[in-house]
Amino acid sequence: MSPLNTLLTALRGISSNALRTTLTTLGIVIGVASVIATLALGNGARAAVNANFRFLGSDQVQIDQDLELKNGQMQAQGKTLTYEDGLNMPSAVPLVDRAEMTVSGSAKLRYGRQTDDINFQGTDAGALLTVISQGQVQPVGWPSNKPLTPKDFIGQGRFFTDAEVLAGDSVCVLGYQTALDLFEGDNPIGQTVWVNRKPCQVIGVLAELEALNVEDRINTRPNDGLFLPVSFAIQNLFDTEPWVTIIAHVTDESKMEEAKAEIATYLRQRHGIPKGPDGKYADDFHMTTKQDVLGAQQQSAATFSLLLTALAIVSLVVGGIGIMNVMLVSVSERTREIGVRMAVGARGRDVVAQFLLEAVLLSAGGGLLGIAVGILTVPIAASLNQGVALLDPNSVPLAFGVSLVTGLVFGLYPALRASQLDPIEALRYE
Amino acid sequence: MKIIQTENLTRTYAVGSSTVNALRGVSLAVEMGEFVALMGPSGSGKSTMMHLLGCLDTPSAGSYWLEERDVSKLSKDERAEVRNNRIGFIFQTFNLLPRLNALENIALPLLYGRHGGDVNKQASEALGRVGLKPRARHKPNELSGGERQRVAIARALVTSPALILADEPTGNLDSKTGAEIMRLLVELCAEGHTILMVTHDAKVASHAGRILQMQDGEIVEERSTDVTA
Ligand SMILES: Nc1ncnc2c1ncn2[C@@H]1O[C@H](COP(=O)(O)OP(=O)(O)OP(=O)(O)O)[C@@H](O)[C@H]1O
Ligand SMILES: [Mg+2]
Repeated sequence: MSPLNTLLTALRGISSNALRTTLTTLGIVIGVASVIATLALGNGARAAVNANFRFLGSDQVQIDQDLELKNGQMQAQGKTLTYEDGLNMPSAVPLVDRAEMTVSGSAKLRYGRQTDDINFQGTDAGALLTVISQGQVQPVGWPSNKPLTPKDFIGQGRFFTDAEVLAGDSVCVLGYQTALDLFEGDNPIGQTVWVNRKPCQVIGVLAELEALNVEDRINTRPNDGLFLPVSFAIQNLFDTEPWVTIIAHVTDESKMEEAKAEIATYLRQRHGIPKGPDGKYADDFHMTTKQDVLGAQQQSAATFSLLLTALAIVSLVVGGIGIMNVMLVSVSERTREIGVRMAVGARGRDVVAQFLLEAVLLSAGGGLLGIAVGILTVPIAASLNQGVALLDPNSVPLAFGVSLVTGLVFGLYPALRASQLDPIEALRYE
Repeated sequence: MKIIQTENLTRTYAVGSSTVNALRGVSLAVEMGEFVALMGPSGSGKSTMMHLLGCLDTPSAGSYWLEERDVSKLSKDERAEVRNNRIGFIFQTFNLLPRLNALENIALPLLYGRHGGDVNKQASEALGRVGLKPRARHKPNELSGGERQRVAIARALVTSPALILADEPTGNLDSKTGAEIMRLLVELCAEGHTILMVTHDAKVASHAGRILQMQDGEIVEERSTDVTA
């Protein structure tokens, strides 16, 4: 029989019992939907890490102060991670060739009659991207596939330079909204603002920013902000030595673990942290690399994926058995038809082709439905996994392939059984 | 040319520990264009004989030449091809596929094997031959018994087979409709088709040129009739 006629015959076969056919494919639908959701989780985890840490280079170690809650306030635990800790790191740690320090706090900002309570950031000249990325933001309407450079964050003027940071110059850069609030449309560049009664010259305004994550756009305010040279901020805006965040640049990306060990040794020595009786150190800082974040993120996705994979396998097997069952029923109901077809010249392979194709069409139909359900499920999976799920376009053909294979595997036995019927017995069947 | 030649054709069935001798060494020759009726009591082996001659079954012993080709030892698929090309079946219960209309039922043999040509045209011609052109789109359950058997006859004709086998073709029809079907078969025979038919009805058998009487798996009597169709 020609392929076209086989297809038409098979289509007729399954269309004769639409309700039963649809119910049968339920397992396949769930299985295929799970495949889509599983892959969306993995894909989402990858995308989230790439988006959230696209500024933390894979050659960087972020070092943060350990904090504890004391009298309702977050305070440094143990010794404070200081600006000097970072400043001396490149010379003391062989694998680190540069360190950027940032500090944050709150201050009163004034220009003319306008005042604003504001969270400021003290940074290095080079740390602009890193600091801004902590807020996981981008210029408004920035295409997700377009690379970002530091100057894309600047709306007006410029960011401060290494020289200004070293000198502790009193210059600052304003957030887009902060500049609007304070200057009400006037040009802020070159004007002097007051930060906790310290004069400071505005040299730049950031571009209008938005959170990367669409869901985060309502509750984040990325355009409120004040950026100052870290040295200036530490000297002028704190009563006591503040803790800093250090971004250490490692010379050799393949030696991140060694670099972390060297940094830990260096900081333990500076902070006088002794080895505990259990051979461990009670560190007052912690280190993060892109690999760490990636690992943690993927682990969380993996747990969820494992569940869904199990669901996918179970429902595909259940769906497959359902298809096998409905095909066996169909073969027995149509025994006489098979006998007639054999009498007029259908060979074994013609009968196999007809019933196998019916099974595959069934599962393919379930597969298509499952793909639709799966795509609708992705947002639900995302909401259950902290927003981390993103439809993987490759998962659609893959899931469809899985449904076809399920149909083939579970349709084979009924089809073979049909083809092995004895034509005389089949013709006599009531 | 001898369309059918059998020698010592034997078929035994194993039922539990015993064996049933359904056919005990039948030797038969049928010439091209003959109309042969097979009669005999129930269980005498008529259907068994038809199954063997129709290549639906293989003999336990003996030989069978169809159009001078030995077909008694063919594989399953080879037999399917012989059935498709050289044999047309007419059944007592019509055996049309209920979900296909008349034309599609007739076209069915053309879809298996390599026949070439316009399937629809050939099926249409066969339908015309049995006088049912206006019923082309009717499903079997929208046809009378006689019409169904005509469609079945058209299906048996459509591949222009060497041999048409009919197992009690009028068994499910009233006598008037049965007579119409017999008239059609006689016409087909006159056009050159070779027909072998099983029947219990002597009147029906009288249309054939030769009547074979079977008993206990053997042909026990053979007589010619003078047909004036
Ligand atoms: N598949 C089978 N297994 C066992 N015995 C069988 C089988 N088919 C037929 N027989 C036996 O073979 C014998 C001949 O049967 P067959 O069907 O050829 O008879 P028949 O002449 O066609 O009878 P009827 O007029 O009732 O149709 C019977 O005794 C029957 O019981
Ligand atoms: Mg019989």
